[in-house]
Amino acid sequence: MKISVNTEIALTYLSSRKKQTAVAAMGVMFGISMFIFMQSLMKGTNDYFEKASFSSTAHIRMYSENKVADAHMLNSFLKDNSEKILINPKQLTQSQGITNPYGIIQNIKKNKQVVAVTPQVTATVIYSSGSVNINGTVAGVSIDEEDKMFDVQTNMVTGDLHDLNRVNNGLLIGKGVADKLSLHVGDNITVRAGTGSPMIMRVIGIFATTIKQIDESKSYANIVQAQNLLGKDRSYVTDIKVNLADYNNAPKVARDLETITGYKAEDWVQSNEQLKAAFKIRAIILNSVIAVILLVAGFGIYNILNMTIYEKIKEIAILKATGFSGGSVVSIFLQQAAYIGVMGGFVGVIFGFVLTFMVSKIYIGAGTLKYLPMSFYVPHYIEAVTFGILTTIAAGYFPARKASKVDPVSIIRG
Amino acid sequence: MENSALKTKNVTKYFHDPVTIPVLKNINLDVKKGEFVSIVGKSGCGKSTLLYVLSTMDSDYEGELEINGTLVTGLSLNALAKIRNESIGFVFQFHYLLPDFSCLKNVMIPGLRLGKYSVKEVEQRAYEKLKMFGVEELALKNANRLSGGQQQRVAIARALINDPAIIMGDEPTGNLDSKNTGIVFDLFQKLSKEYGQTLITVTHDEDFAKRSDRIIEMADGEILKH
Repeated sequence: MKISVNTEIALTYLSSRKKQTAVAAMGVMFGISMFIFMQSLMKGTNDYFEKASFSSTAHIRMYSENKVADAHMLNSFLKDNSEKILINPKQLTQSQGITNPYGIIQNIKKNKQVVAVTPQVTATVIYSSGSVNINGTVAGVSIDEEDKMFDVQTNMVTGDLHDLNRVNNGLLIGKGVADKLSLHVGDNITVRAGTGSPMIMRVIGIFATTIKQIDESKSYANIVQAQNLLGKDRSYVTDIKVNLADYNNAPKVARDLETITGYKAEDWVQSNEQLKAAFKIRAIILNSVIAVILLVAGFGIYNILNMTIYEKIKEIAILKATGFSGGSVVSIFLQQAAYIGVMGGFVGVIFGFVLTFMVSKIYIGAGTLKYLPMSFYVPHYIEAVTFGILTTIAAGYFPARKASKVDPVSIIRG
Repeated sequence: MENSALKTKNVTKYFHDPVTIPVLKNINLDVKKGEFVSIVGKSGCGKSTLLYVLSTMDSDYEGELEINGTLVTGLSLNALAKIRNESIGFVFQFHYLLPDFSCLKNVMIPGLRLGKYSVKEVEQRAYEKLKMFGVEELALKNANRLSGGQQQRVAIARALINDPAIIMGDEPTGNLDSKNTGIVFDLFQKLSKEYGQTLITVTHDEDFAKRSDRIIEMADGEILKH
């Protein structure tokens, strides 16, 4: 391979000042490894909270909203232009469920953003065991789909959630419910819904989320069992839960679904405003920290190259006297910056990975969180290297341009 | 005027700092190919300034400069750099070698820049030039490990690597003892006589000047006689 004379000079300068080169490369290394570390920590934490919140909330939940009586019916009956006023309107006593839920599900699945749709029957119930009663809700679900959407499996304390498909009257209860009623896997529990008759169900598993409120009230049952509990038929569905490829699109898709189906579609942003705010704030903190780190690394390189240029001003003059153009001089010094960037970037990626890996072993042990959540996400590494090298080149450009403007006559004549 | 290596027409130059004063006044000069010219004069008479104008490094002047029959006044800095690389070799009072490189590399660098020959050929040629000055055994030593005389000889070898039409020297022997001065002078003479290269040197050394083909005497920015 033939390397150009500019490259050769750049490399010689770098290798003849090993210490300075190493210091500059270390600056870049720290910048890049910190970038990777911070990004991994942020993404890991965000992913964790996201997962925690989406373990109980779907991206979009569709349900039938109770309606207050209006003059609509009266208008179509009288067919005149008079203004009707309903005095003391009441809630309509129509069925709370969604009409033709499976048709609607088919419809929702046509939306390209949607990755998972599952129907749910929610029943407000009273659990009793012995003489103790507690309030709660039973979510009648298809447990396989529920697991796919919300990763129920990771929250399992004991038992096998798939038993919900096998055991006819199985019930998966929260840890709080189990503790309060002193229940274990295999025990019986009486569940009574408002309108239905009491049913005796069997505890087939216990789960624990990080949210105490949920653990103390929620349970999962097969959707058919939940319908039985309420004394409803097989087409009775209270909620349709929808997950999207990108949860950030939820508000927009929710509006679309509302228009198509006519039912209320609540997106996760509406129910988790503070989560979204936290994400945004964290992103700002992260980006400002990274910007500062890269800026400092950039200044390091700028300084070192600037010093090199002062030291080598006579040599630059000589190079120009022997026929090196301004462009060649820029190339020589920019290449030095680029090599420092590449070296620092390479070591930085390794160091960043090691640091991330080590920190990911820090024990936290709160809720379902065992270790500090760190993500190992390849695009972070690519971004880090790209930003790192761009910063170096930008930092190298100004000294390089200065070097190219050296007037050989004034330097050589002294 | 095919015979002319370098020609100036009414070259005038001012220094502006701290006040504007003329340093070169209407210099008209014609140096033939293969000529060995010495420019002499008292300190501050403008002879070095003239040399830097002639070398194309200093482009801040009035008048016209022709090198090998081509008008170079007003060319871009990059074009001038190319001309310097190709047809002008420069020797300074102080050697100005690049201390991080070996002597061989120092000599090779302008040759590599020119890119006319392969790396192998440039290396071969660099060895030949070093041999001419008897410093070939120092080729692989770092430039900053040499004595002053040796360094100057390497610097001259560097000026010759691209076989430039014109070799310019700003006190090329100013830092050398009489023995080394003799060696350098003999070589310069050989270059002009045998290879037809043009030499223009600024010197304080009267013996050196007397032995050259032509003496240009300067005073107060003007040529007294040539």
